[in-house]
Amino acid sequence: MLEGAEFYFNVDHGYLEGLVRGCKASLLTQQDYINLVQCETLEDVKIHLQTTDYGNFLANETNPLTVSKIDMEMRKKLCREFEYFRNHSLEPLSTFFTYMTCSYMIDNVILLMNGALQKKSVKEILAKCHPLGRFTEMEAVNIAETPSDLFNAVLVETPLAPFFQDCMSENTLDELNIELLRNKLYKSYLEAFYKFCKNHGDVTAEIMCPILEFEADRRAFIITLNSFGTELSKDDRETLYPTCGKLYPEGLRLLAQAEDFDQMRRVAEHYGVYKPLFEAVGDGSGGKTLEDVFYEHEVQMNVLAFNRQFHYGVFYAYTKLKEQEMRNIVWIAECISQRHRTKINSYIPI
Amino acid sequence: MGSLFRSETMCLAQLFLQSGTAYECLSALGEKGLVQFRDLNQNVSSFQRKFVGEVKRCEELERILAYLVQEINRADIPLPEGETSPPAPPLKQVLEMQEQLQKLEVELREVTKNKEKLRKNLLELIEYTHMLRVTKTFVKRNVEFEPTYEEFPPLENDSLLDYSCMQRLGAKLGFVSGLINQGKVEAFEKMLWRVCKGYTIVTYAELDEPLEDPETGEVIKWYVFLISFWGEQIGHKVKKICDCYHCHVYPYPNTAEERKEIQEGLNTRIQDLYTVLHKTEDYLRQVLCKAAESVYSHVIQVKKMKAIYHMLNMCSFDVTNKCLIAEVWCPEANLHDLRRALEDGSRESGATIPSFMNTIPTKETPPTLIRTNKFTEGFQNIVDAYGVGSYREVNPAVFTIVTFPFLFAVMFGDFGHGFVMFLFALLLVLNENHPRLKQSQEIMRMFFNGRYILLLMGLFSVYTGLIYNDCFSKSVNLFGSGWNVSAMYSSSHGPAERRRTVLWNDSVVRRSRVLQLDPSVPGVFQGPYPLGIDPIWNLATNRLTFLNSFKMKMSVILGIIHMTFGVILGIFNHLHFRKKFNIYLVSVPELLFMLCIFGYLIFMIVYKWLVYSAETSRVAPSILIEFINMFLFPASETNGLYAGQEHVQRLLLAVTALSVPVLFLGKPLFLLWLHNGRSCFGVSRSGYTLIRKDSEEEVSLLGSQDIEEGNNQMEDGCREMTCEEFNFGEILMTQVIHSIEYCLGCISNTASYLRLWALSLAHAQLSDVLWTMLVRVGLRVDTTYGVLLLLPVIALFAVLTIFILLIMEGLSAFLHAIRLHWVEFQNKFYVGAGTKFVPFSFRLLSSKFSDDVA
Repeated sequence: MLEGAEFYFNVDHGYLEGLVRGCKASLLTQQDYINLVQCETLEDVKIHLQTTDYGNFLANETNPLTVSKIDMEMRKKLCREFEYFRNHSLEPLSTFFTYMTCSYMIDNVILLMNGALQKKSVKEILAKCHPLGRFTEMEAVNIAETPSDLFNAVLVETPLAPFFQDCMSENTLDELNIELLRNKLYKSYLEAFYKFCKNHGDVTAEIMCPILEFEADRRAFIITLNSFGTELSKDDRETLYPTCGKLYPEGLRLLAQAEDFDQMRRVAEHYGVYKPLFEAVGDGSGGKTLEDVFYEHEVQMNVLAFNRQFHYGVFYAYTKLKEQEMRNIVWIAECISQRHRTKINSYIPI
Repeated sequence: MGSLFRSETMCLAQLFLQSGTAYECLSALGEKGLVQFRDLNQNVSSFQRKFVGEVKRCEELERILAYLVQEINRADIPLPEGETSPPAPPLKQVLEMQEQLQKLEVELREVTKNKEKLRKNLLELIEYTHMLRVTKTFVKRNVEFEPTYEEFPPLENDSLLDYSCMQRLGAKLGFVSGLINQGKVEAFEKMLWRVCKGYTIVTYAELDEPLEDPETGEVIKWYVFLISFWGEQIGHKVKKICDCYHCHVYPYPNTAEERKEIQEGLNTRIQDLYTVLHKTEDYLRQVLCKAAESVYSHVIQVKKMKAIYHMLNMCSFDVTNKCLIAEVWCPEANLHDLRRALEDGSRESGATIPSFMNTIPTKETPPTLIRTNKFTEGFQNIVDAYGVGSYREVNPAVFTIVTFPFLFAVMFGDFGHGFVMFLFALLLVLNENHPRLKQSQEIMRMFFNGRYILLLMGLFSVYTGLIYNDCFSKSVNLFGSGWNVSAMYSSSHGPAERRRTVLWNDSVVRRSRVLQLDPSVPGVFQGPYPLGIDPIWNLATNRLTFLNSFKMKMSVILGIIHMTFGVILGIFNHLHFRKKFNIYLVSVPELLFMLCIFGYLIFMIVYKWLVYSAETSRVAPSILIEFINMFLFPASETNGLYAGQEHVQRLLLAVTALSVPVLFLGKPLFLLWLHNGRSCFGVSRSGYTLIRKDSEEEVSLLGSQDIEEGNNQMEDGCREMTCEEFNFGEILMTQVIHSIEYCLGCISNTASYLRLWALSLAHAQLSDVLWTMLVRVGLRVDTTYGVLLLLPVIALFAVLTIFILLIMEGLSAFLHAIRLHWVEFQNKFYVGAGTKFVPFSFRLLSSKFSDDVA
């Protein structure tokens, strides 16, 4: 790609960029969160959301209102917006959108396979799937018994196909293998997305690469954290780390050797970006979890993405911010419906 | 005129509504639309207000009604719209209404659910019969070959080979059959192939008639398929894939008898279902018809109720919680009605203590209310689009009624076009009660709303067209031209004349292509044409030069009169707001500046018109040169327009020059003097200066009543707090900016009025071009078939006239007229920083179904 997006960016993508910036303005403000936290019932939440850009999206829901209904409607709204963007996009932005949906598709595939393993009906699990990652072949996932089966039969024509090259194996799909499959898929997905952004160059690369690097490193940390006390060997663990982050290669090697949280923290201390994050993590009681800290950092990066113009990062950032907002609303709504008000304030402000 | 000249006086009133009767009182107020409520709970979030529960109930009702309307529309039952709008329901009826509606909804949902279920059932059965019918052809083939499976199969048929081989191996041959969505066939087949590695045989046939999709209700094409597979495991996979692609799978009969049996069973069941479905639909229709009768009034009632509760949410509670306190803006003229509405409301609810109101003094700027009727509305909208007038400011809309169509007509002067426009507008005006016009869409609606503007624009264009003597670019000779060509011939004059002037004879006429009429020859010019431009100019080659000079001067004269009028209106504003010093220090210098330069220019134009005749025209000085010389003081003397011209011009220039510093510094210095004077004279004269101070600050907007109370100590205390800090620098800055804008504006705005000339020229030329290019060409063919040619030519002429000259040119002249009003006229006096008075009125609620469905 040529440099100097400002010269030609608007020809193809100007409309959508304007649109997404307008959508970004509709994110809930701090004042909205303060009001939401004060709500007594879910009905109050609904009334308050009506005054925001959500409008009367819950108007047609019959009583009683539940958190899952709110969540579903919010997802539908995001999905409508995303579909609109996607339908109006031109290359290479549409490829970018496809990359964005891939992560949801991976999650959905894994969810369905887990469901099949636990002998749940497909319909039940389909309802839980993220609408952004929906595709027709998805429901046939449970035919497959091995990863290569899965690839050959079901996913060979989906955008997920290229990510399968590392994980073709004849192992039966038990719980551990599914988890491994997810991480391997994610690793190759992230690497491919990173490569795509890097090749695209220009502002898109400048914005998206740090975000994806962070995403990769976050996965590496989370994988490490989750593998403590499991039968996963250290070598296997290392193969799961996405290699496009800032931790690559030394940090990942150190992480692979880590045996507990403190060792992980020591690895992170070598990196200026992650040191403050690990310092912000509270110990055990109270304080923030590592996950929350990561989310906060992600939100910050996404908000900053809007400071530059003429790049695709805004679409990614908007979707992620909207998701965070949905998580926040769901959190608050859960707290309200379960009368568990002490933790209601630990949403992640945008 | 009185009410249109300034917005109405408003007062802030406090309503004390007994909590039992508040609802009825507001209902009475809403019917009348008298007052604008102020939000007293601005910092209370929407879900913590008092009447949230009631609003929620209204929303619930709205949801039910929206569902009802949707169902009624789907059943194609006409919704009667009542003529009168029912009042908001009394509180006792609300519960009843809610119960009734909820019952209706439950019933309706059940019936529609049943109906849907039956429909789906029916569809499935129909699909099944279709499938059976289509797969019969597949099966026939199968049956034909069945006896041959012991022998060697014919090698040329591959699919057959599979069948027979498998059957010979004793494996179980299974069938899955069903219907699949047309768009998914390809992917379905591919996946079957990949998953089952070719151990299946798929046969398709397109269904000839499209069927409804039971889930989405769409009518789409379907394919019938039959999969034959071998083995149990593959069967599972095939079924899963079928699920994945949302195929409708039906059991496949193995033998012909079975098939026949099923088909017969299906047919009877379909018959049964049809009758049941019809019964259900009839019942549903009855229910909906009954609901449709009252749904309109219910929708209106619920809307009104919701509006009332929204207003009640803006009220604050009294300490004792017994009554609600509302603050409202009300036009002073309507206070009586307001009192009566409150009494009515209280009486209706049978309350012991009536609700009452009292007015409270305030320092806040009230909203602007200008009552309009259907005629003035359009003009007021033109002004409001620029900015809603400040409270009690002179409203330019009054003058716009005349000046706007006039300035438009100056640019659009052609009485043929004007007459067409007038007729169109007249048509709209005469049929304004026609329901189709009232509900028309965007563009037509725009014309409809501006019909009175269009009417006047057309009328004025007829007038200016007569003055320009233009009718579809041709002049009309109504009274006979004032020029006599034959008088130019030498034969008609005596020898003395012949010697003095250049006259025509036969040889001159024959030789020259262009001849000039000389008005100084006696008998040639017999006096001006009675109305407008002499039609003889239509033949003249120097017509354009003549018209340009005329139109240019006219534009300047009109422009300067218009702007001067604007400055004079400013004086009315200053008088009303008791800022007399503004008249002396701002308006008068402004007027002097304008009149001494441009007023003098007008004087020169008119003087030259009056004094110089055809005989003396050769010695007439150029106004342009004279005007420039006024500023340059040239060394060489020119023979001016009149004696002593130089001295008059010097004097005018001096006045102009003097008015500029007054304009720049007068107001700030005066305010500074006032400010210092007050602090110098101290306590003893504070009462006096206070009043003076009031008059200079915005506080004086309150009107006389507050000024009289100026001695009231408490009032003083309040007011002093609202007085802005005196900031000399800021005042000076504002005034300097204003003055610079005005002085430069005088020049540039005058030039801007030349657009009157430019557009009128463009319009005349364009219509001329259209005439010469079309009609003249058509008229030139003088053979018999020329008549036939003339018909399309005239049609084309008419179409182009309407689209280019009337609509396009009309729009451009309209825009320029708007600009002249907004910029050149209104910036001389109009602030336009008010807010519109929006009364709480049920009439503003939309009474359409379409709105609440969307």
